[in-house]
Amino acid sequence: MADLIFVVEESNTTVVDRIFKMVENVIHMEHGSVALVFLIGVIFGGIIQYTRVDKFEKIAGFSMLKDTIIPKMLFLTVGITSIGLYFMIDAGQAHYHVKPIILQGLIIGGILFGVSMAILGKCPGTGPVSIAEGRIDVLVGAIGGLLGGLVFTLYYDDFFKPLMGESLGKTILPDFFEGHEDMTALIFGVVVILIAIAIPKRELFDEADLCKLPDDQRPDKK
Amino acid sequence: MSNRLPWWVGGILMSGLLLLTFSIYGADRPIGASTYVPYVAALIFDLDPEKYSYIEHIKDSGSWEGVMLLGVLFGGFITSVFITKSFRFSLIPTAWKTYKNNSILSRLLWSFFAGFIMIIGARLAGGCTSGHFMSGMSQLAMSAMIFGGVVMITLVVTGKYFYNTKGKK
Repeated sequence: MADLIFVVEESNTTVVDRIFKMVENVIHMEHGSVALVFLIGVIFGGIIQYTRVDKFEKIAGFSMLKDTIIPKMLFLTVGITSIGLYFMIDAGQAHYHVKPIILQGLIIGGILFGVSMAILGKCPGTGPVSIAEGRIDVLVGAIGGLLGGLVFTLYYDDFFKPLMGESLGKTILPDFFEGHEDMTALIFGVVVILIAIAIPKRELFDEADLCKLPDDQRPDKK
Repeated sequence: MSNRLPWWVGGILMSGLLLLTFSIYGADRPIGASTYVPYVAALIFDLDPEKYSYIEHIKDSGSWEGVMLLGVLFGGFITSVFITKSFRFSLIPTAWKTYKNNSILSRLLWSFFAGFIMIIGARLAGGCTSGHFMSGMSQLAMSAMIFGGVVMITLVVTGKYFYNTKGKK
């Protein structure tokens, strides 16, 4: 019986203790104060909510190519940030935190992620924002996600780590254009911003939100 | 006050937030939003870090993102109540009814399933829309570009075959 249950050893701590431990970890790390990290979260959630990109109609709508707000905003964000960040790193005001190319992991993971993003209509960043505005179906998705995280943790060494394969290094785009690194970063940023502007704007609206607005404020009737 | 921001204002604000987070005056790290999930799972189910190496592996990122998650929930809630006025309990999105079906059970089962494989996928790839797409591509990381390309293609292919859009606006 004992090996059927994975949580056997009680560590005599409650969930509340473990949440305090989490906050304590952040205090001891040098990645901003707890207040700053919390504030980053508040602003992140606020921007996502205020632009409405957490909506099913935006993300699943993009998968049906009926809404293009998500790629437009994502590409614009990447374009501006990449230019700013490149020169901040040059000036010593930020550092690289590049993730390695673990090819099998990226491809298998990317496929699973793309499929589930289309079905759920959320991603791990936008999901909590939807839960915070009362979406029960997303809460059910999050419970599935927590179990996914649990399974991944339990079988990481035996199954998932070998599945991901070996790291091919932390290559960045300017590595391919030696001698022209600054130019590469700048051109990448500008091209991505232009892509964001060039993607035709399409929107899928949700009548459940729109019906609360007066007629002259409805974006679909302008 | 307008009840929503245009995409370009959102993009500019999000860039500002990312740059602040990356900067040595901010958090000196990228924004990520999927490591917290296994971290919170380990927290809820009280897994022993000595038995499962992955918990030790994600301890720092997981707790950082866990605190950020509390902020995201708070920020999303406040904004939905006071600014976008979109707070309401609902079980099924409007577009799901239009393009899939009217069954709440179907929506909840698919949500559960998608949530499950989404986190497995994100952890296999080592990131999600925030960590790879936004933070990774902004660093010109090749790993993020590979992930972004695969996700965009599978997203659109799934959308085409999973939903029924024929003859609908």
